[in-house]
Amino acid sequence: MNLRTLISFLVISVITTLTISNLALANEVRTIEAGDTEIDIRIFPASGNTLLLGFPCDEGKSIAEEKTAHSLSEDGIEVWMPDMLSGFMLPKVRSSLTGITTDALTALIDEATKTGKNVYLIASGPDTELVLRGASNWETLHKNTSLAGAVLMFPRLFKDTPVPGKKPEYKKIVGQTKLPILLLEGERTPNRWGINSLSHELQKNGSPVKSKIIPNVRGYFFKRQDANRSEDVVTSQMAGLIKVSLFYLQENNTHD
Amino acid sequence: MIKSLSILVLSLCLTLNAQAANLKPFTANTPTPALKLTDLHGKTHDLHDYKGKIVLVQFWATYCGPCRKEMPSMNNMIKKMGNTPFKILAVDMGETEAEVKQFVKEVKPDFSILMDESGQSIGDWQVFAAPSNFIIDPQGNIRYTLFGGVEWDSDEIINKIKELAVN
Repeated sequence: MNLRTLISFLVISVITTLTISNLALANEVRTIEAGDTEIDIRIFPASGNTLLLGFPCDEGKSIAEEKTAHSLSEDGIEVWMPDMLSGFMLPKVRSSLTGITTDALTALIDEATKTGKNVYLIASGPDTELVLRGASNWETLHKNTSLAGAVLMFPRLFKDTPVPGKKPEYKKIVGQTKLPILLLEGERTPNRWGINSLSHELQKNGSPVKSKIIPNVRGYFFKRQDANRSEDVVTSQMAGLIKVSLFYLQENNTHD
Repeated sequence: MIKSLSILVLSLCLTLNAQAANLKPFTANTPTPALKLTDLHGKTHDLHDYKGKIVLVQFWATYCGPCRKEMPSMNNMIKKMGNTPFKILAVDMGETEAEVKQFVKEVKPDFSILMDESGQSIGDWQVFAAPSNFIIDPQGNIRYTLFGGVEWDSDEIINKIKELAVN
Protein backbone atom coordinates (compact mmCIF):
# COMPACT_ATOMS: atom_id res chain seq x y z
CA MET A 1 0.00 0.00 0.00
CA ASN A 2 1.62 3.27 -1.07
CA LEU A 3 1.31 6.50 0.92
CA ARG A 4 -1.36 8.00 -1.36
CA THR A 5 -3.60 4.92 -1.05
CA LEU A 6 -3.09 4.88 2.71
CA ILE A 7 -4.07 8.57 3.04
CA SER A 8 -7.15 8.03 0.83
CA PHE A 9 -8.15 5.05 2.96
CA LEU A 10 -7.76 7.05 6.18
CA VAL A 11 -9.75 10.02 4.82
CA ILE A 12 -12.60 7.75 3.66
CA SER A 13 -12.59 5.94 7.03
CA VAL A 14 -12.81 9.20 8.98
CA ILE A 15 -15.62 10.56 6.77
CA THR A 16 -17.54 7.29 7.04
CA THR A 17 -17.15 7.22 10.82
CA LEU A 18 -18.30 10.83 11.17
CA THR A 19 -21.29 10.24 8.89
CA ILE A 20 -22.37 7.12 10.76
CA SER A 21 -21.95 8.78 14.15
CA ASN A 22 -23.98 11.81 12.97
CA LEU A 23 -26.81 9.65 11.70
CA ALA A 24 -26.74 7.72 14.93
CA LEU A 25 -27.33 10.86 16.98
CA ALA A 26 -30.62 11.86 15.34
CA ASN A 27 -33.33 9.38 16.26
CA GLU A 28 -35.49 10.24 13.27
CA VAL A 29 -35.21 12.08 9.98
CA ARG A 30 -38.54 13.36 8.72
CA THR A 31 -39.09 14.99 5.35
CA ILE A 32 -41.75 17.64 5.16
CA GLU A 33 -43.12 19.75 2.34
CA ALA A 34 -42.20 23.33 3.07
CA GLY A 35 -43.34 25.85 0.51
CA ASP A 36 -42.00 24.78 -2.87
CA THR A 37 -39.46 22.33 -1.54
CA GLU A 38 -38.95 19.34 0.73
CA ILE A 39 -36.82 19.68 3.83
CA ASP A 40 -35.26 16.94 5.91
CA ILE A 41 -35.58 17.50 9.64
CA ARG A 42 -33.35 15.67 12.09
CA ILE A 43 -35.59 15.00 15.04
CA PHE A 44 -34.38 14.31 18.57
CA PRO A 45 -37.67 13.30 20.22
CA ALA A 46 -38.59 13.81 23.84
CA SER A 47 -41.70 13.40 25.92
CA GLY A 48 -41.68 16.89 27.48
CA ASN A 49 -43.90 19.72 26.28
CA THR A 50 -41.05 21.87 24.93
CA LEU A 51 -39.89 21.76 21.32
CA LEU A 52 -36.79 23.60 20.14
CA LEU A 53 -36.73 24.29 16.41
CA GLY A 54 -33.23 25.21 15.23
CA PHE A 55 -32.15 26.65 11.91
CA PRO A 56 -28.55 25.58 11.44
CA CYS A 57 -27.42 26.35 7.89
CA ASP A 58 -25.00 23.50 8.00
CA GLU A 59 -25.93 21.01 5.27
CA GLY A 60 -26.58 18.53 8.06
CA LYS A 61 -23.05 18.65 9.50
CA SER A 62 -23.33 20.46 12.84
CA ILE A 63 -21.54 18.07 15.15
CA ALA A 64 -21.57 20.27 18.30
CA GLU A 65 -25.21 21.22 17.71
CA GLU A 66 -26.26 17.59 17.22
CA LYS A 67 -24.57 16.51 20.44
CA THR A 68 -26.36 19.33 22.21
CA ALA A 69 -29.67 18.32 20.64
CA HIS A 70 -29.16 14.75 21.76
CA SER A 71 -28.39 15.87 25.29
CA LEU A 72 -31.46 18.15 25.38
CA SER A 73 -33.73 15.35 24.18
CA GLU A 74 -32.44 13.15 27.00
CA ASP A 75 -33.53 15.92 29.35
CA GLY A 76 -37.06 16.00 27.90
CA ILE A 77 -36.69 18.81 25.36
CA GLU A 78 -37.53 17.76 21.81
CA VAL A 79 -35.22 19.24 19.17
CA TRP A 80 -35.83 19.63 15.45
CA MET A 81 -32.96 20.54 13.14
CA PRO A 82 -34.12 21.14 9.59
CA ASP A 83 -31.45 21.04 6.89
CA MET A 84 -32.31 24.35 5.24
CA LEU A 85 -29.44 24.56 2.76
CA SER A 86 -29.89 21.12 1.25
CA GLY A 87 -33.63 21.73 0.97
CA PHE A 88 -32.92 24.60 -1.39
CA MET A 89 -29.73 23.11 -2.85
CA LEU A 90 -27.75 26.10 -1.61
CA PRO A 91 -24.03 26.26 -0.76
CA LYS A 92 -22.83 27.06 2.76
CA VAL A 93 -22.22 30.77 2.18
CA ARG A 94 -23.81 33.77 3.86
CA SER A 95 -25.63 34.91 0.71
CA SER A 96 -27.55 31.61 0.68
CA LEU A 97 -29.79 32.92 3.46
CA THR A 98 -31.74 35.00 0.94
CA GLY A 99 -32.44 31.82 -1.06
CA ILE A 100 -34.34 30.27 1.86
CA THR A 101 -37.96 31.26 1.44
CA THR A 102 -40.10 32.68 4.22
CA ASP A 103 -42.85 30.24 3.17
CA ALA A 104 -40.57 27.30 3.93
CA LEU A 105 -39.63 28.72 7.34
CA THR A 106 -43.29 29.30 8.14
CA ALA A 107 -44.22 25.77 7.06
CA LEU A 108 -41.58 24.36 9.39
CA ILE A 109 -42.87 26.41 12.32
CA ASP A 110 -46.42 25.27 11.45
CA GLU A 111 -45.30 21.66 11.51
CA ALA A 112 -43.64 22.15 14.89
CA THR A 113 -46.74 23.79 16.41
CA LYS A 114 -48.88 20.83 15.28
CA THR A 115 -47.18 18.78 18.00
CA GLY A 116 -49.02 20.90 20.58
CA LYS A 117 -45.75 21.60 22.40
CA ASN A 118 -44.39 25.01 23.36
CA VAL A 119 -42.24 25.92 20.37
CA TYR A 120 -39.00 27.85 20.81
CA LEU A 121 -36.80 28.86 17.87
CA ILE A 122 -33.02 28.97 17.93
CA ALA A 123 -30.24 29.98 15.53
CA SER A 124 -26.77 31.48 15.60
CA GLY A 125 -24.81 34.14 13.70
CA PRO A 126 -26.37 35.37 10.46
CA ASP A 127 -28.82 32.42 10.52
CA THR A 128 -30.72 34.31 13.25
CA GLU A 129 -32.30 36.26 10.40
CA LEU A 130 -34.22 33.07 9.50
CA VAL A 131 -35.75 32.89 12.98
CA LEU A 132 -36.96 36.47 12.76
CA ARG A 133 -38.26 36.06 9.22
CA GLY A 134 -40.10 32.82 9.98
CA ALA A 135 -41.53 34.07 13.28
CA SER A 136 -42.71 37.38 11.85
CA ASN A 137 -44.57 35.73 8.99
CA TRP A 138 -45.99 33.01 11.22
CA GLU A 139 -47.31 35.65 13.64
CA THR A 140 -49.00 37.46 10.77
CA LEU A 141 -50.79 34.25 9.79
CA HIS A 142 -51.69 33.18 13.35
CA LYS A 143 -53.00 36.22 15.18
CA ASN A 144 -54.55 34.39 18.13
CA THR A 145 -51.70 32.15 19.13
CA SER A 146 -48.01 32.64 19.76
CA LEU A 147 -44.67 30.92 19.79
CA ALA A 148 -42.95 30.52 23.13
CA GLY A 149 -39.79 32.46 22.27
CA ALA A 150 -36.45 32.51 20.48
CA VAL A 151 -32.82 32.16 21.45
CA LEU A 152 -30.49 34.14 19.19
CA MET A 153 -26.86 33.14 19.70
CA PHE A 154 -24.28 35.67 18.50
CA PRO A 155 -26.82 37.38 16.26
CA ARG A 156 -25.19 39.03 13.24
CA LEU A 157 -27.97 41.24 11.94
CA PHE A 158 -26.20 44.37 10.70
CA LYS A 159 -27.38 45.52 7.29
CA ASP A 160 -23.80 46.53 6.45
CA THR A 161 -20.52 46.79 8.32
CA PRO A 162 -21.09 49.42 11.00
CA VAL A 163 -19.38 52.76 10.42
CA PRO A 164 -17.43 53.96 13.47
CA GLY A 165 -19.24 56.83 15.16
CA LYS A 166 -22.64 56.10 13.64
CA LYS A 167 -25.63 54.11 14.85
CA PRO A 168 -25.60 50.75 13.07
CA GLU A 169 -28.33 49.87 10.59
CA TYR A 170 -29.95 46.49 10.99
CA LYS A 171 -31.62 44.15 8.52
CA LYS A 172 -35.20 45.05 7.73
CA ILE A 173 -36.59 42.04 9.57
CA VAL A 174 -35.17 43.23 12.90
CA GLY A 175 -38.01 44.61 15.03
CA GLN A 176 -40.82 42.94 13.04
CA THR A 177 -41.83 40.25 15.54
CA LYS A 178 -43.48 40.13 18.97
CA LEU A 179 -41.61 36.99 19.95
CA PRO A 180 -39.94 36.94 23.39
CA ILE A 181 -36.22 36.88 22.60
CA LEU A 182 -33.10 35.96 24.53
CA LEU A 183 -29.80 37.16 23.06
CA LEU A 184 -26.57 35.33 23.86
CA GLU A 185 -23.29 37.00 23.02
CA GLY A 186 -19.66 36.12 23.73
CA GLU A 187 -17.65 38.35 26.03
CA ARG A 188 -14.66 38.31 23.72
CA THR A 189 -16.22 39.83 20.64
CA PRO A 190 -16.79 43.50 19.77
CA ASN A 191 -20.42 42.59 19.10
CA ARG A 192 -21.05 42.45 22.84
CA TRP A 193 -20.92 46.24 22.82
CA GLY A 194 -23.76 46.33 20.32
CA ILE A 195 -26.09 44.13 22.33
CA ASN A 196 -28.05 47.01 23.86
CA SER A 197 -28.49 48.69 20.51
CA LEU A 198 -29.71 45.43 18.94
CA SER A 199 -32.04 44.72 21.89
CA HIS A 200 -33.57 48.15 21.45
CA GLU A 201 -34.20 47.54 17.73
CA LEU A 202 -35.66 44.08 18.34
CA GLN A 203 -38.16 45.50 20.83
CA LYS A 204 -39.71 47.85 18.28
CA ASN A 205 -42.70 45.60 17.51
CA GLY A 206 -43.24 44.56 21.12
CA SER A 207 -40.75 41.74 21.60
CA PRO A 208 -39.60 41.41 25.20
CA VAL A 209 -35.82 41.05 24.83
CA LYS A 210 -33.24 39.93 27.35
CA SER A 211 -29.53 39.49 26.77
CA LYS A 212 -26.77 37.53 28.46
CA ILE A 213 -23.00 37.67 27.94
CA ILE A 214 -21.14 34.36 28.02
CA PRO A 215 -17.81 34.95 29.82
CA ASN A 216 -14.46 34.22 28.14
CA VAL A 217 -15.74 33.05 24.77
CA ARG A 218 -15.60 34.48 21.27
CA GLY A 219 -18.46 34.46 18.80
CA TYR A 220 -19.18 31.11 17.07
CA PHE A 221 -17.05 29.44 19.75
CA PHE A 222 -18.62 26.03 19.17
CA LYS A 223 -17.65 26.07 15.49
CA ARG A 224 -14.04 27.18 16.00
CA GLN A 225 -11.04 25.01 15.10
CA ASP A 226 -8.85 27.07 17.46
CA ALA A 227 -11.20 26.94 20.47
CA ASN A 228 -9.52 27.75 23.79
CA ARG A 229 -10.18 25.97 27.07
CA SER A 230 -13.09 28.22 28.10
CA GLU A 231 -14.71 27.74 24.70
CA ASP A 232 -14.30 23.97 24.87
CA VAL A 233 -15.90 23.93 28.32
CA VAL A 234 -18.88 26.06 27.25
CA THR A 235 -19.33 23.97 24.09
CA SER A 236 -19.49 20.82 26.20
CA GLN A 237 -22.11 22.52 28.42
CA MET A 238 -24.18 24.01 25.61
CA ALA A 239 -27.28 21.98 26.48
CA GLY A 240 -27.21 23.54 29.95
CA LEU A 241 -26.75 26.98 28.44
CA ILE A 242 -29.81 26.50 26.24
CA LYS A 243 -31.89 25.16 29.13
CA VAL A 244 -31.04 28.27 31.14
CA SER A 245 -31.98 30.40 28.13
CA LEU A 246 -35.36 28.68 27.87
CA PHE A 247 -35.82 29.23 31.58
CA TYR A 248 -35.33 32.98 31.10
CA LEU A 249 -37.86 32.98 28.26
CA GLN A 250 -40.37 30.95 30.31
CA GLU A 251 -39.93 33.38 33.16
CA ASN A 252 -40.81 36.16 30.76
CA ASN A 253 -43.96 34.33 29.61
CA THR A 254 -45.01 33.71 33.23
CA HIS A 255 -44.65 37.38 34.10
CA ASP A 256 -46.73 38.41 31.10
CA MET B 1 -4.31 39.02 -24.50
CA ILE B 2 -1.96 38.08 -21.64
CA LYS B 3 -0.88 41.71 -21.37
CA SER B 4 -4.54 42.83 -21.11
CA LEU B 5 -5.22 40.25 -18.45
CA SER B 6 -2.14 41.31 -16.48
CA ILE B 7 -3.27 44.95 -16.60
CA LEU B 8 -6.76 43.90 -15.46
CA VAL B 9 -5.40 41.86 -12.54
CA LEU B 10 -2.99 44.65 -11.56
CA SER B 11 -5.80 47.23 -11.69
CA LEU B 12 -8.00 44.99 -9.57
CA CYS B 13 -5.23 44.53 -6.99
CA LEU B 14 -4.61 48.28 -6.84
CA THR B 15 -8.34 48.95 -6.46
CA LEU B 16 -8.65 46.43 -3.64
CA ASN B 17 -5.60 47.90 -1.92
CA ALA B 18 -6.97 51.41 -2.26
CA GLN B 19 -10.30 50.30 -0.83
CA ALA B 20 -8.60 48.57 2.08
CA ALA B 21 -6.83 51.77 3.03
CA ASN B 22 -9.89 53.91 2.59
CA LEU B 23 -10.30 56.61 5.20
CA LYS B 24 -13.97 57.58 5.09
CA PRO B 25 -14.79 61.26 5.59
CA PHE B 26 -16.88 61.60 8.74
CA THR B 27 -20.18 63.11 7.69
CA ALA B 28 -22.27 62.81 10.86
CA ASN B 29 -23.03 66.26 12.21
CA THR B 30 -22.15 65.33 15.78
CA PRO B 31 -19.56 66.76 18.15
CA THR B 32 -16.49 64.69 19.05
CA PRO B 33 -17.31 62.67 22.17
CA ALA B 34 -15.21 63.16 25.29
CA LEU B 35 -12.42 60.70 25.93
CA LYS B 36 -10.66 60.67 29.27
CA LEU B 37 -9.02 57.39 30.25
CA THR B 38 -5.99 56.04 32.07
CA ASP B 39 -3.15 54.22 30.32
CA LEU B 40 -1.31 51.12 31.47
CA HIS B 41 1.16 53.27 33.44
CA GLY B 42 -1.59 55.05 35.36
CA LYS B 43 -1.37 58.31 33.38
CA THR B 44 -4.69 59.95 32.49
CA HIS B 45 -5.15 61.06 28.87
CA ASP B 46 -7.83 63.59 27.99
CA LEU B 47 -8.45 64.00 24.26
CA HIS B 48 -9.17 67.66 24.93
CA ASP B 49 -5.52 68.14 25.98
CA TYR B 50 -4.31 67.06 22.54
CA LYS B 51 -5.86 69.97 20.67
CA GLY B 52 -3.32 71.22 18.15
CA LYS B 53 -2.32 67.66 17.28
CA ILE B 54 -3.78 65.16 14.87
CA VAL B 55 -5.00 62.21 16.94
CA LEU B 56 -5.73 58.66 15.86
CA VAL B 57 -8.24 57.22 18.33
CA GLN B 58 -8.46 53.50 17.87
CA PHE B 59 -10.79 51.03 19.61
CA TRP B 60 -9.26 47.57 19.66
CA ALA B 61 -9.10 44.30 21.60
CA THR B 62 -6.50 41.60 22.16
CA TYR B 63 -8.76 38.94 20.60
CA CYS B 64 -9.07 40.97 17.40
CA GLY B 65 -6.75 39.47 14.77
CA PRO B 66 -6.54 42.55 12.50
CA CYS B 67 -5.75 44.75 15.53
CA ARG B 68 -2.73 42.64 16.40
CA LYS B 69 -1.58 42.54 12.78
CA GLU B 70 -1.73 46.29 12.16
CA MET B 71 -0.05 47.51 15.34
CA PRO B 72 3.53 47.29 13.98
CA SER B 73 2.44 49.54 11.10
CA MET B 74 1.10 52.01 13.68
CA ASN B 75 4.53 52.09 15.32
CA ASN B 76 6.03 52.85 11.93
CA MET B 77 3.32 55.43 11.25
CA ILE B 78 4.54 57.49 14.21
CA LYS B 79 8.01 57.62 12.64
CA LYS B 80 6.66 58.50 9.20
CA MET B 81 4.52 61.34 10.56
CA GLY B 82 7.86 63.04 11.31
CA ASN B 83 7.48 66.56 12.69
CA THR B 84 3.70 66.66 12.21
CA PRO B 85 2.13 66.89 15.69
CA PHE B 86 0.51 63.49 16.04
CA LYS B 87 -0.71 61.18 18.81
CA ILE B 88 -2.21 57.69 18.91
CA LEU B 89 -4.66 56.80 21.67
CA ALA B 90 -5.52 53.11 21.44
CA VAL B 91 -8.50 52.27 23.64
CA ASP B 92 -8.80 48.66 24.69
CA MET B 93 -12.42 47.47 24.54
CA GLY B 94 -13.31 46.37 28.03
CA GLU B 95 -10.60 43.80 28.81
CA THR B 96 -8.60 43.39 31.98
CA GLU B 97 -5.22 44.98 32.60
CA ALA B 98 -3.61 41.54 32.86
CA GLU B 99 -4.85 40.54 29.40
CA VAL B 100 -3.71 43.78 27.82
CA LYS B 101 -0.29 43.78 29.54
CA GLN B 102 0.42 40.32 28.15
CA PHE B 103 -0.53 41.51 24.67
CA VAL B 104 1.65 44.63 24.97
CA LYS B 105 4.58 42.46 26.01
CA GLU B 106 4.22 40.48 22.80
CA VAL B 107 3.27 43.19 20.27
CA LYS B 108 5.22 46.14 21.79
CA PRO B 109 3.14 49.15 20.69
CA ASP B 110 5.01 52.49 20.87
CA PHE B 111 1.84 54.43 21.69
CA SER B 112 -0.56 54.95 24.58
CA ILE B 113 -2.84 52.05 25.41
CA LEU B 114 -5.87 53.32 27.31
CA MET B 115 -8.01 51.07 29.47
CA ASP B 116 -11.81 51.17 29.49
CA GLU B 117 -12.96 48.17 31.50
CA SER B 118 -16.48 49.60 31.89
CA GLY B 119 -16.93 50.17 28.15
CA GLN B 120 -18.24 53.69 28.71
CA SER B 121 -16.23 55.28 25.89
CA ILE B 122 -17.18 52.46 23.50
CA GLY B 123 -20.82 53.48 23.87
CA ASP B 124 -20.06 57.21 23.73
CA TRP B 125 -18.12 56.80 20.48
CA GLN B 126 -20.69 54.41 18.94
CA VAL B 127 -18.25 51.60 18.31
CA PHE B 128 -19.72 48.26 17.27
CA ALA B 129 -16.77 46.51 15.66
CA ALA B 130 -13.00 46.28 16.03
CA PRO B 131 -10.75 47.85 15.07
CA SER B 132 -12.71 51.09 14.75
CA ASN B 133 -10.62 54.18 14.05
CA PHE B 134 -11.23 57.91 14.22
CA ILE B 135 -8.88 60.58 12.88
CA ILE B 136 -9.24 63.81 14.82
CA ASP B 137 -7.92 67.06 13.33
CA PRO B 138 -5.91 69.64 15.34
CA GLN B 139 -9.15 71.53 16.06
CA GLY B 140 -10.60 68.45 17.76
CA ASN B 141 -13.07 67.43 15.05
CA ILE B 142 -13.50 63.89 13.73
CA ARG B 143 -12.47 64.06 10.08
CA TYR B 144 -12.16 60.43 9.02
CA THR B 145 -13.21 57.03 10.26
CA LEU B 146 -11.92 53.63 9.24
CA PHE B 147 -13.13 50.16 10.13
CA GLY B 148 -10.88 47.12 9.83
CA GLY B 149 -7.16 46.48 9.77
CA VAL B 150 -4.92 48.46 7.42
CA GLU B 151 -1.25 49.26 6.91
CA TRP B 152 -1.18 52.58 8.70
CA ASP B 153 2.29 53.43 7.40
CA SER B 154 1.21 53.42 3.73
CA ASP B 155 2.09 56.65 1.91
CA GLU B 156 -1.54 57.08 0.91
CA ILE B 157 -2.74 57.19 4.52
CA ILE B 158 0.20 59.18 5.86
CA ASN B 159 -0.20 61.89 3.18
CA LYS B 160 -3.95 62.15 3.71
CA ILE B 161 -3.54 62.51 7.48
CA LYS B 162 -0.66 65.00 7.19
CA GLU B 163 -2.94 67.21 5.07
CA LEU B 164 -5.06 67.80 8.16
CA ALA B 165 -2.16 69.63 9.81
CA VAL B 166 -2.03 72.32 7.12
CA ASN B 167 -5.80 72.73 6.53
